[in-house]
Amino acid sequence: MFGINRRYISDFDWPLLGIALAIALFGVLEISSAEPTQGLWRRQLMGIGIGLFVIFVTTLVDYRRIVNLAPFLYAGGLIMLALVLTPLGKEVNGNRSWLYFGSFGFQPSEFAKLFTILLIAYYLSSVKKRPLDIRSIFIVGIIWALPTGLVFLENDTGSALSYGSFLVAMLFLAGLRWRLVAAALVALVLAVTFSIPYIKSCKSYKCERVKAVYWPELAEKRFRYQNEQSEIAVGSGGLFGKGLRGSTQGTLGFVPEVHNDFIYAVASEEWGFLGSFASLTLYLLLITRLIQIARRSRERVGVLLVAGVASLLLYHVTVNIGMVLRLLPIMGIPLPLMSSGLTSVVATSFGLGLAISVRLRRFVN
Amino acid sequence: MKPIKEPGFDPIEDIRQAGVRLEVLRYLALVIFVILSGRLWYLQIMNTQVFADRAEMNRTRVLTIPARRGNILDRKGRLLASSQPSYNIVISRKDVRNFDEISDLLVGNISGIEKEWLKKRFEAAIYEPKYESIVVKELATNIDVQWVEAHQFEYPMIRAEEAPRRFYPNNELAAHALGYVGEVSRTELNDPESPFNRENSFKLGDIIGKAGIERTYNEILSGKDGERRVIVDSRGRIQREIERIEPIPGRDIHLTIDLDVQKIAEEQASNMPLNRGVIVVSDPRNGEVLALVSHPAYNPNIFSLKAKTEEGKSEIRDLYENPDKPLYNRVIQGTYPPGSTWKLMTTVAALNEGVITPESSRIQDGGIQLGNYFMKSLSHLGAPDVVTAIARSADGYYYRLGLKMGPERFEKWVRAFRFGERTGIDLPREKIGILPTRAAKAMIYPKTPKWTDYDMAASAFGQGTNALTPIQLLRYVNGLAVAGRMYTPHLFMKAAPGTDRMGNYHEAMTYTDEKAFKVQMSDATHEIVLKGMWGAVNGAGTAGAARVEGFDVCGKTGTAQNISTDKVNKNTKDHAWFMGFAPRDKPEISAVILTENAGFGGTHSAPRARAIFEDYYRRTRGIKDETLSEAAASPTDAPRTAGN
Repeated sequence: MFGINRRYISDFDWPLLGIALAIALFGVLEISSAEPTQGLWRRQLMGIGIGLFVIFVTTLVDYRRIVNLAPFLYAGGLIMLALVLTPLGKEVNGNRSWLYFGSFGFQPSEFAKLFTILLIAYYLSSVKKRPLDIRSIFIVGIIWALPTGLVFLENDTGSALSYGSFLVAMLFLAGLRWRLVAAALVALVLAVTFSIPYIKSCKSYKCERVKAVYWPELAEKRFRYQNEQSEIAVGSGGLFGKGLRGSTQGTLGFVPEVHNDFIYAVASEEWGFLGSFASLTLYLLLITRLIQIARRSRERVGVLLVAGVASLLLYHVTVNIGMVLRLLPIMGIPLPLMSSGLTSVVATSFGLGLAISVRLRRFVN
Repeated sequence: MKPIKEPGFDPIEDIRQAGVRLEVLRYLALVIFVILSGRLWYLQIMNTQVFADRAEMNRTRVLTIPARRGNILDRKGRLLASSQPSYNIVISRKDVRNFDEISDLLVGNISGIEKEWLKKRFEAAIYEPKYESIVVKELATNIDVQWVEAHQFEYPMIRAEEAPRRFYPNNELAAHALGYVGEVSRTELNDPESPFNRENSFKLGDIIGKAGIERTYNEILSGKDGERRVIVDSRGRIQREIERIEPIPGRDIHLTIDLDVQKIAEEQASNMPLNRGVIVVSDPRNGEVLALVSHPAYNPNIFSLKAKTEEGKSEIRDLYENPDKPLYNRVIQGTYPPGSTWKLMTTVAALNEGVITPESSRIQDGGIQLGNYFMKSLSHLGAPDVVTAIARSADGYYYRLGLKMGPERFEKWVRAFRFGERTGIDLPREKIGILPTRAAKAMIYPKTPKWTDYDMAASAFGQGTNALTPIQLLRYVNGLAVAGRMYTPHLFMKAAPGTDRMGNYHEAMTYTDEKAFKVQMSDATHEIVLKGMWGAVNGAGTAGAARVEGFDVCGKTGTAQNISTDKVNKNTKDHAWFMGFAPRDKPEISAVILTENAGFGGTHSAPRARAIFEDYYRRTRGIKDETLSEAAASPTDAPRTAGN
């Protein structure tokens, strides 16, 4: 099983890896443009190296063995999330989501997401019912609620919401009744409708961030600033962009967190519509390819696992780019593979590795 | 994990249904892709120009490089005001990460910086425009600048920046003529009447003339500012320069001031009894002002060199709060009753109107009964002729002369001399004074508006409602010296050619007197004026203390009755006037001197005139020995002859 044979190499999902690598290298280029002096892009290259290693190791192992480890991984994830709330944790940009061992720091929630996906896939694959019964839904809910609650305590709303993305997708695929799907949608619409007046009048920074996008005239100026500057960065890129190192909005500091959450703004400014549309298309290809892998899988656990990863990626891409383009409020959500950050790159690689592993073993049994 | 067959669960059907639902997920991804692409299209294709403009506005700033202000020179080219190429030591905020490190560096190497002060400076900098560097030292010494330049590579965050400063090498000297400069105020910028408002393209931070010549000729003195277009980051810190337009310096101005005359006038003003008074010296042939002193004065350097320091601010506050009002230009803003200097006006009026004639001018002197009020006279000269009446300042003579003339004819000549109007001297904020007329009395005393014989008698010898400025008196004495030709007193002589604020080129220019006029004065009348004033100085007159051997000084003293009720201070004493010119037949120099609250003009102001005239006479005639100076007696308090 660990031996690299011809079938492994010929069946390996090279296109998927190619797309991911293209996005990641574009990210390195833009990080180097946004923060040329800080050596962040070297770090990012190192992250990609680790990521590649993680992908190859993950794909060599049968994903079912990993799924069987899910309860332990999940428990480990919960412990790390809890540690973040102890003095070992560190607050960065208002979110207490970092864990430090000496000078080595990482964000446990990035991994905890994947471990939660693994555990939900593990549990749901053992539930042999379609449509899902209430008891199973309830158990999945508990699996989901524990890490989500801890992340909420870290004040990381964006990440907490991302747990919702794969929860919904996986329940849906595992056979949630259409009636319940419809009811959830209605409930969502009602909740949004009724919360509008409250958000309009509320003054907390989260409400201000929402207002800054949808009711800018109600929002305080300082909350509109980041949205506006990001919009200017993207818009001023035009069709062809300002060229590599041509960013002024990004490099002169008008756009915040340029190498991280707003890397897409700098990319759009430097490469214009052509570049931003091309990179958006790469993300679409990546996600649809993952969905394709899920479709090919002959096993419930494979379908759920890959769909969980795909929906998590879709959520990240949508929320991050939506935020950069001033369609969604600002949340501290990185753009997978492009934003600088070792944890995010390695965690994403792990997710992709799982998917490739599923594809490699689609014909087994 | 083998799929176990359970009742009601078909794994094949389960995967098939999941596949259908995966299609839903795929379509969701597509829809999101379309929405995001549409937004990209909207921002980057449809509205790119809007955002491109905003990005450009974000990143560039235009900073002004102030132009060097033109020099102000005296009539012989000696420097009165210059622009010094001064340096500020600045540090750029961007590179300062550690306050302690930079402050140790600065305190150790730049003279006159203290750590505590620097700390405050850093805190204050929070409220300054962010793209500006922090000025840690103004007017840096050569040693400071050399140190900074020598360590350019080691400490790039410390720079020496050129900042031209107005500098007045003679400090207080001629301060009220020169004025001072400062930043244009918000009030002026927004005032539609102000020449320094936004409509005339002035902006906050511009240096303008605040007073004096600096203000009147601001357009000539201020050159065209240069510009730096720089790239700034989001916090406004300058990253680099993309364009630079060098400033064009302002034009030099030559004043009519003669530094030699100004110096002696300053010296004479500095020892006035209450330290308050006026000395103006001019050339009666054209109105050129040779010296202008309003005492006490101020040091205009405070405004241009120290206005931003704590020390300078407190000095400026002191100037505003000083009860002697050093900022106030007494020459053009102080109004005083002219006293007996006015008798020449009455004389010229009476001769022109034929009330008296050169042949028949004898009138009774001494006190006079007006209704039930007896108006006393200090003089009792019997019935003198007009020349004697001038020379010995016969009050009673003028009471009766006024009554004979009547207000109609009297007022006609007051207006002919254009009292009650600005002389048009090229200094801002000149006052007009108050006339001794029926209209003025009715306005000032609305309860007793009727013009009485007392009013007529008082007005004829220089009291009544009469109040005029020393500069009005100067134009008047000049007219008396040159037979009624009234030139506008002025300080501007010529300006060099050059470019103005808006970039337009101008040829060299000289002063043109557009307001000059003539008061009717026949040769016979002029002769009487000259004889009377010559007699006042050189005969047994009231102005003997102004006599300069060989220079034929003509003059007239006056004592302006002080109406103040202030009994506590010495401010109740009368103001002492002297006005005069020399030499009698070809006048070259004239002077008006006012010593505030000192007493008699003959004792306090005439000797100062003598010092100025004598100095001038010696210099222009090349006399060096001491033969003339024996008359330089110290002023005594004893009143000389009759009159006031």
